[in-house]
Amino acid sequence: MFGFTVGKLLRASTVLLGVSFLAFIIGHASGDPVLLLVRGDATAEQKAELRHSLGLDRPVLAQYVDYLGHALHGDLGVSYRQHVGVAGLIRSRLPNSLELAGAAFAAATLLGFALGVLAALYRDRWIDHVVAALSVLGQVVPGFWLGLMLVLLFAVHWRALPVSGSGGIAYLVLPALTLALPTMGRMARLVRAGMLEALGSDYIRTARAKGLGESEILLRHAAPNASLPLVTQAGLEFGDMVGSAFIIESVFAWPGLGRLTVNAVLQRDFLVVQGCVLVIAVAFVTINLLVDLAYAWIDPRVRAR
Amino acid sequence: MSSMVLTMYRSRETRLGLILLTVVVFAALAAPVLAPFDPGAVDPNARLLPPGSVHLLGTDSVGRDILSRLIYGGRLSLTVGLLAVLISALFGTFVGCMSGYFGGWLEAVSGWLIDVQLSFPFLLLAIFLLGALGGGTVAVVLVLALGTWVNYARIVRAQVLSIKNLGYVEAAHASGAGVLRIIGVHILPNTLSPICVVASFSMAQAILTEAGLSFLGVGLDPSTPSWGTMLNDGRDYLLSAWWIATMPGIAIGLTVYGVTQLGEGLRELLDPRGRR
Amino acid sequence: MRGRLEPAAFGRRLATLLVIAAAILQASCAPKTQDAVVVASVSDVSSLDPHLLDNNHPTGSLIWSLFDSLVRRGPDGADLPRLATSWERSDPLTWRFHLRPGVKFQDGSPVTAEDVKFSFDRMNKPPFNTLQQLWAQTTLKEVRVVDAQTVELQTAQPSVTMLYWLEEAFIAPKAYYSVHDAAYLNSHPLGSGPYSLVEWVPGDHVTLTANPTYFGGAPAIKNVIFKVVPDASARLNGLTTGDIDLALELPPDMISQAKTAHSRPVEILGLRKLHFGISQNAKLTALRDPRVRQAMNYAVDVAGMIKTLMHGSTVPLTSVVNPPNADPNLTPYGYHPDKARALLAAAGYPQGFDLDIDFTPFWGQDKDVSETVAGYLNAVGIRTHLHADEWNDFRRKLSDQSFDGIFYAGWAALINPSVELVIFTCKQEDNASGYCDPKFDDLVHRANTEFDVDKRKALLDAAQEIAWNDAYWIFLWRAPVYAGLSDRIDYQLRPDDYVEIYLAKPRH
Repeated sequence: MFGFTVGKLLRASTVLLGVSFLAFIIGHASGDPVLLLVRGDATAEQKAELRHSLGLDRPVLAQYVDYLGHALHGDLGVSYRQHVGVAGLIRSRLPNSLELAGAAFAAATLLGFALGVLAALYRDRWIDHVVAALSVLGQVVPGFWLGLMLVLLFAVHWRALPVSGSGGIAYLVLPALTLALPTMGRMARLVRAGMLEALGSDYIRTARAKGLGESEILLRHAAPNASLPLVTQAGLEFGDMVGSAFIIESVFAWPGLGRLTVNAVLQRDFLVVQGCVLVIAVAFVTINLLVDLAYAWIDPRVRAR
Repeated sequence: MSSMVLTMYRSRETRLGLILLTVVVFAALAAPVLAPFDPGAVDPNARLLPPGSVHLLGTDSVGRDILSRLIYGGRLSLTVGLLAVLISALFGTFVGCMSGYFGGWLEAVSGWLIDVQLSFPFLLLAIFLLGALGGGTVAVVLVLALGTWVNYARIVRAQVLSIKNLGYVEAAHASGAGVLRIIGVHILPNTLSPICVVASFSMAQAILTEAGLSFLGVGLDPSTPSWGTMLNDGRDYLLSAWWIATMPGIAIGLTVYGVTQLGEGLRELLDPRGRR
Repeated sequence: MRGRLEPAAFGRRLATLLVIAAAILQASCAPKTQDAVVVASVSDVSSLDPHLLDNNHPTGSLIWSLFDSLVRRGPDGADLPRLATSWERSDPLTWRFHLRPGVKFQDGSPVTAEDVKFSFDRMNKPPFNTLQQLWAQTTLKEVRVVDAQTVELQTAQPSVTMLYWLEEAFIAPKAYYSVHDAAYLNSHPLGSGPYSLVEWVPGDHVTLTANPTYFGGAPAIKNVIFKVVPDASARLNGLTTGDIDLALELPPDMISQAKTAHSRPVEILGLRKLHFGISQNAKLTALRDPRVRQAMNYAVDVAGMIKTLMHGSTVPLTSVVNPPNADPNLTPYGYHPDKARALLAAAGYPQGFDLDIDFTPFWGQDKDVSETVAGYLNAVGIRTHLHADEWNDFRRKLSDQSFDGIFYAGWAALINPSVELVIFTCKQEDNASGYCDPKFDDLVHRANTEFDVDKRKALLDAAQEIAWNDAYWIFLWRAPVYAGLSDRIDYQLRPDDYVEIYLAKPRH
């Protein structure tokens, strides 16, 4: 186990190095930040002076090493557009993104589970068809389009929910629901299949023969088995959800990391983008590492690979 | 081939999907004939008209016909998607082949690159790259290709490894066959089927991703009619001119459904033969 | 036989959940009543450092609320006393300003001439000197402290526009601003203005509170929040729910939605001149022929576009200078596509030519206007290619004067003909189209050093005529300023986009 862990850690570190370098290079290629900072009538000498004072005329590798060094201490530089620390910006937006992702994830799993169960129980009735249609809808249209349609219906037409922004629970509903829909659809289908399989299996028949009540069968026997595939799927879905969150946050003006990144990209605020990319990549790699280690600990066969 | 199609035709969903796909592809190909107006023809006096007898699906904020833009937009979105899939399939297959066949440092490096790429949520990488590259059709195609090449690489590599294990390769080597011939005769034909399945799902993903990127403003040039840019156009007009944003969404939905059904159909078809 | 869960039990549980959810939603949906006035804009302030002002709104609006300058810019262009109560020129090169006595910064320290000198000198150092134009434009050489309440400014040449440039030369306390570093000063402003900063959450909002000891009297609105709401429909929605009191930068297509039970749309004809600049540095030599430029003006139906795209809410430009200083002898080109074709043919382009059109999402309806103008130019044989530029790329091309064709921009939302004309002079860094005409330059330079009002007017009119007849721009219209105002407050919009929230009053 120890050797396995060390191996995984080493690999994760090299990946992180690669990721940070990639982020730095792409950020650098994004454009010249000096132009972001000066007014139209600045002279060439003024621009050169500014470039020097920001350290942008040094060789690229030197700048990268410098950046990495600072990053390890938690200093991700200062935003060119907003003149505040990048790390601080990220720290202030991260909780919002987590709130959105958490709410969406909870909605997707809980509602997905509930809908899957209902679809299995009332198989071939109208609710089964509705769930199937919803699930298909979640996969074939762009998530943000669904979001726009929901906005059109709930916020513009009926004025029941806010169009965008953040504030209370009401502001969270539409973005979380929009983000959750594709995952919810997939979960519902999985759960439905699992439930149907479970309900038709031998041990359920035995349980019924023994005289157990329907709800007890459902809760104690069928549902737990149906939710196994849900757990594995959930892990895979999380990565997708984070990606989609970027667009959803823009549509709903949700003050999270995604919107910060997209705006920073559009404004060529490359230190902010680098910082966001780095933070998210580090999170991903870390989570994957932990999951790998957890699986290996539970299932020794995995270690042999 | 025809037996394949007939088998797929039996399933109701697949049938519907294939029909939709055929309609969309036909419309895209016949665009110059089918579109009632020039998709770029601006007419400020006819702006923001609701769907009606002259403009079947209404007009946008500068008076362009939505239906015509939808048809030409489909052309662009499908072309971009197809090119992206082709490039990613070729590149992914190549990398998978090489790393599976030769192993060693080649496999290690490509594996590492894949890990690095997968550490970013793809959309983030796409936005980042397009921001740096500046958008435009070529950049979008390349970035979309970046999104799926890994799938091909993995499948092909797995195939190569299993075929290596079966001894064909050693036998062929012994009889003097070159690397290219071995790959071409023994390996590639067996990978074609799973590649096709992956390709259909990649196509669906490419269309959706292009829509998202163009919507954010980092994808295709906003003046070119693509389904994604049309969605962006309609964003500020949800209350006053809902048709601008709604129509492209429906078009995307129908097309992606068709492509996905094609993929599902292919997968079921090839399932008994493959090991997956 | 397939069993079923008792539908009644399940249904009951589901219903309970839904009721709870609805209750939560309802509670957070209740319209908020708050005493702070909320101003919603598209973008965030870029810095709260008084010498890093880079746009009229929101940065300009916030700096104007936090700091004072010697002279205030009135909405009609007049120079009004602010920190300076009077001024005079002892000779054409020397200006003397008398400061208002008893004014204090928000930490209690008095505003003195030392602070004025410090602030002006600071504006001349990097990085501030890339954004501040006071020294370069007025040929300022030296700032002298005569006594605690008197400051003298020495210029190298006579400067007609000194007062204009002083309007945004904000006075910062020397003690505070020499001690802290740049990053701190960016977000911790200390001025003498009508408001002080409570907090700035970048990307989200800035909260201000009234300065009770302000020399002009504490503002009527005690608490103000400048919120960042990029989505127009969100700003409108905020008006409806009562969350937003002043929704700015609304597109003309949506302004009618600002009329709700407790809000109203307000509109004012702005000063920003919207136009297409015509690049003289492009490889396309056709653009250097004045006949081609005039043809492009004749080809575009400006009045028609005003009627359709702008809902008739503005007027065509009649000069490169805003009224009341516009030369009355100049008239709009009008819509004459036949004249356009004739001029193109005369210039040697009967088959037209290929033209690049650049725009960026900044001035409002950039895409719609660019696409419509492209349509008009296509109709007279010019083959157009549209390019949506990212804002920083566009800015770079503006500053490098490197556009390949024509570009949609808005300029000079101000009333000061000397300043408005200066951007067309040869070496001017704002001269995005790269235009250069020595005759024009001569007139403008003479006008900017001529203190006699009548002589100056004659020179300015002559310069305007050249600019107009030579068609440096495709002349469009003045940008209307649209906003939604809640019925809680009264506020008069400014045509140059600055929001002087300290002049707003609650409505009863």
